[in-house]
Amino acid sequence: MFGKVREAMADAAETLRRAYSGLAVVDVAPERFRARGHGSPLLAIHPLAGLESLEASALTSGLLGEQPLSVRRMDVPRAVLHAESGWARWDAGAEVVRMAPLAARLSQPLALPTLPERVPIHGGVEALGRPVARRLPHALPGTSLRRLSEPLTRPATRTLEPGLRAPAARTEDPGLRSPSARRSLEAALAFPVPIQAEDIQRLPKGLWMRYSLQLVRGTGENVRNLEVLGLFRIPRKGVAELHHDARLGRILVRFEAAAVGAPRIPFILARRKDDGAMVSCFVEGA
Amino acid sequence: MAESIKLAYFMAVKEGTSYLGGLLVTDTSGIPLDFRYTEPITPTHLQGILYGKSLEPHLKEEVIQKTLLKELKAPPDLFILSATELAGGWSGDTKCPVLAVQKTQDTPLAKAGAVFRVGAREVLLQVADGAAPLRVLFATSVDAPTQEQAILKLLEAGYHMDLAEPLERVAAALQSLVMKGS
Repeated sequence: MFGKVREAMADAAETLRRAYSGLAVVDVAPERFRARGHGSPLLAIHPLAGLESLEASALTSGLLGEQPLSVRRMDVPRAVLHAESGWARWDAGAEVVRMAPLAARLSQPLALPTLPERVPIHGGVEALGRPVARRLPHALPGTSLRRLSEPLTRPATRTLEPGLRAPAARTEDPGLRSPSARRSLEAALAFPVPIQAEDIQRLPKGLWMRYSLQLVRGTGENVRNLEVLGLFRIPRKGVAELHHDARLGRILVRFEAAAVGAPRIPFILARRKDDGAMVSCFVEGA
Repeated sequence: MAESIKLAYFMAVKEGTSYLGGLLVTDTSGIPLDFRYTEPITPTHLQGILYGKSLEPHLKEEVIQKTLLKELKAPPDLFILSATELAGGWSGDTKCPVLAVQKTQDTPLAKAGAVFRVGAREVLLQVADGAAPLRVLFATSVDAPTQEQAILKLLEAGYHMDLAEPLERVAAALQSLVMKGS
């Protein structure tokens, strides 16, 4: 039994010890509660000296001319402390406000009006009727009244004839009219005419002998000294120019108008062998 | 016979928008007997549209040629034009055989006067010994007998003259007239 008491006392003691063992006095540094400037200096009040006296300086102005200005010195403003006691003022003129409803013996019961049983109806909505035309008693100046005689008149109808009218036909003769013709033999005679030489071998031998004799008589040359270039049939008159085309064995003759219709007679063209000169003569009918 | 043969050489040319033609009549020596030419005829724009491609053949054959033939006192024995014109479908007149004469480079035929028939409307004609034969083209209106008569006349005339040369003179004469007119 004493053992249990002892254990109980020990437990109690241990309990008390644990309960009061956590309480400790902690010293707090006073610097924690002081204001610190974090990166900036603390605000401080610096006493300033009194206001400097204002001095007026003389300014020259062209408008005033050269007149001298009087300069006055200003006094230094000084601060004067004024004090006023609010309580003293309140005490002099204040008045205590008394609330009447809360004042004793002054309160009276208030009578509340009864609520109405029916809601009174004031007036009403008039039935909608036909609108009544109203006329202005006096027309506004500058306006005029117009009346429509009829509601709407029928629009005028127009008819379009669908048929296409026949267009006016015009005739133009597509035929090509015959041009006028002109005669100009001179235009044709302006160009030389080639005349081919006849084949002497096809001539009868007697005829050629006769032509040769006439050639000798006409030119006065020895027949052995002559080389016959050709026998041509050309007009008896109207020969303007004559050229021999030895390559083709023909002559180029330019005629005049007199050659047209003139009889064609044999014409022999020859060359002298000794000097190469050209000789010619009409051999028949000359 | 040779003196009576008359050869008519016809040519129509286009100068700008105008057409004009010339007709040269020569004897068998190629000497001019007559030369006629037309004033330039200018078809209108409407006529050009209406006639179309037939405008030029119609102008040359129906208008210019007939106008020039009317001017002649007597019809020529042969009506000769260029092979180009004839190939364009020239019908021609039955009174006057229409043909074209063209020089060739072919081998000469056997002898002068030889005729080689190439086709119904084409023959080779040897007018001179040793020379290249001439090609003769006939119009569609020229029948075979008429062709034979025309060939004889060509041989006769070709003995004295160059059958193809007068067309060059017609062209030159027309050119000179155009230059003279402008």
